[in-house]
Amino acid sequence: MDETVAEYIRRTVLKIPRCQIMEMLTMWEFLSKTQLQTINVHQLKERISQAVVELCEVITSIVNDQIVSNSHNFVFTISGIFSCITGEETDSFNLADFKYKFKRSLRSALKNVTINFREYEDNAIWIRIAWGTQYTKPNQYKATYVVYHSQTPYVFISSLRSSIPLLCQALVHASNYHDIHEMELRSRCIDSLKDIVFKRYSQTFQTYHPRPLQERNVAPEKVDPRIIQENKREKERIQSVNQEIFGEGLQPKIEFAQYKLETMFKGEPEMDILTEKEPFRCVVKFSSPHLLEALKSLAPAGMADAPLSPLLTCIPQKARNYFKIKERKGILSASCLGP
Amino acid sequence: MDTPDSGGMTPLGRKTAETGINFTSTTRFSRGLTFIRTHTLFGQSPTRRIIPQTSLLQENVDPQKIAFLLRKQWTLYSVTPMYKFSYGNLKEYSRLLSAFVAAEKQKGLAVEVGNDLGIKVTLSTLLGLKGTDQDQVAVLVQIASRSQLPFENAENKVVWSGWFCCISGDDLLESVPEDFTCLSLFLANGAESYTAIVGSWFQKTFDCYFSRLTISPLNLAWMAAMWTGCKVDSHMAATELVFSVPCIPQSLDISYAIHSEDAKALWDTVQKTPGEVTQEEVNLFMDCLYSHFHRHFKIHLSATRLVKVSTSIASAHCDGNIKILHSKHLIGVLTLLTELAISQIQ
Repeated sequence: MDETVAEYIRRTVLKIPRCQIMEMLTMWEFLSKTQLQTINVHQLKERISQAVVELCEVITSIVNDQIVSNSHNFVFTISGIFSCITGEETDSFNLADFKYKFKRSLRSALKNVTINFREYEDNAIWIRIAWGTQYTKPNQYKATYVVYHSQTPYVFISSLRSSIPLLCQALVHASNYHDIHEMELRSRCIDSLKDIVFKRYSQTFQTYHPRPLQERNVAPEKVDPRIIQENKREKERIQSVNQEIFGEGLQPKIEFAQYKLETMFKGEPEMDILTEKEPFRCVVKFSSPHLLEALKSLAPAGMADAPLSPLLTCIPQKARNYFKIKERKGILSASCLGP
Repeated sequence: MDTPDSGGMTPLGRKTAETGINFTSTTRFSRGLTFIRTHTLFGQSPTRRIIPQTSLLQENVDPQKIAFLLRKQWTLYSVTPMYKFSYGNLKEYSRLLSAFVAAEKQKGLAVEVGNDLGIKVTLSTLLGLKGTDQDQVAVLVQIASRSQLPFENAENKVVWSGWFCCISGDDLLESVPEDFTCLSLFLANGAESYTAIVGSWFQKTFDCYFSRLTISPLNLAWMAAMWTGCKVDSHMAATELVFSVPCIPQSLDISYAIHSEDAKALWDTVQKTPGEVTQEEVNLFMDCLYSHFHRHFKIHLSATRLVKVSTSIASAHCDGNIKILHSKHLIGVLTLLTELAISQIQ
């Protein structure tokens, strides 16, 4: 067996916590039950990994095809979403056909690649690609992962690298679409990305009654009359506006948003500043463990106006978190131009 | 604290005060002396500062040593004046400090006679780091560790560095008696454990006190304004301000980076008096940036907390970390930091 692959298996097994080793090996499905039973999980981890490698030595070609990522094991780092512009779709999706075409397209351009496929229940196909060059073997440690939902025109790609054009070409060819282009949406959490593009989050709708209808026969709250809520109406207004914009449910989880601003600088009227005609260039980055929830809580905390700027609230609807804002005819507007 | 009298306004609007030595003072200086703050009252930030002169490094400067200070992350401390510190005894101090560091590092380990950890401490002077002639000469402390592996050549690798300096501090520290050396600013780079050991030795030997110098958002705004205005010959990096939003369940950080030319253009229209920066100008500069941001995002940056400022000259973090990028502006940055250190001591 290829020694780089053997080394890779060895290191992967070492990384798995001891209690999960058996589970993982079973999930990988390339060692038979009898072989699994021969592995003693209580010995030193190095010995375990060595034993796994030895067992794998016997199975050569099967291993090459079956070393696939397990979605729970790997941190899905920044994933770019590519959306395919629909071209000629075939009605039925043929998995074997897709795999064959993809492999052929990629291998014709680059000899040294390792390609592995894995199918999951929700029609998701995970493709793991390890890239090599003309002279070097594929680097198993820096693989690119591609998730393709065959029923949708979306592809999710991790760790964008320079070999992306080749990858896109292969994807377009294999899926029978016309073209592919990158969307400006990135996140660490692939489920959130799916939520945004598949519109699985709670959407907001325009209401014709901005004030909620008054309920009758409501028992009065037992509130101490000495407590006075200041700005009660303003707070209620902020809450209702916030809800209108962000919706009721949990927001999709994204970690950052970046805005490249090239608008004219205009301060307050009393600031007699910068009468130049050049745009005031800046880059604003928001980052948070859960950005949309943080933005939602800004107005109630008093740090932002309600309604919040459409530049921020349009992130889920427009499915992008990288923006370039330019001045439009002297009036500020959130014109989101392409990259 | 004695209140300064209102006689004799200097051109910069600072008030001079009568000096006094109070032996019954209850301040933390064990020798019972008080140092009068000459120009600020009760912890307020000055309303105006001179733009520091740049490139005041004198002739007998070691460019390699200066280059060593640049592009490194330094943690800031303020140091009270040191009692009976002598520049002539640096070799002696090196020897004592080496023994102390070695002893501290071996605490808790089994004692092995003759076991040499290979730690060597050197104290040296850093010439040229002075704002005025009255400033004390800067002192550099370095801990070098000899490689333990036998086959590697026994070259000493510097594992920790720290340096004391005081730039243009004399006008703020009047009435310092003879036996005291004022090196109010201390910068450290390296493992925290070494910083603690070196700090405790200095505190015990010279009866001084180290405390972490944090930088308030107000002073960070001053730095943003003053450093944006500096002219840099080489490539200018963007002026970046990082804000952290408090009081919300999920933490949110906002990074606001302005193109260097545009930031400088804005500052040049704000700043009116040459050679001087006032509080109003800094406030106006920041307000302009905040209002431009608010126009786009409807978020009030003034309600958030400024935690970090990065410019082409230097970058500073509110926890008291600094990185200086150009030797030309080294003195300017250190002048400001010395002032902050001294106001923290007082």
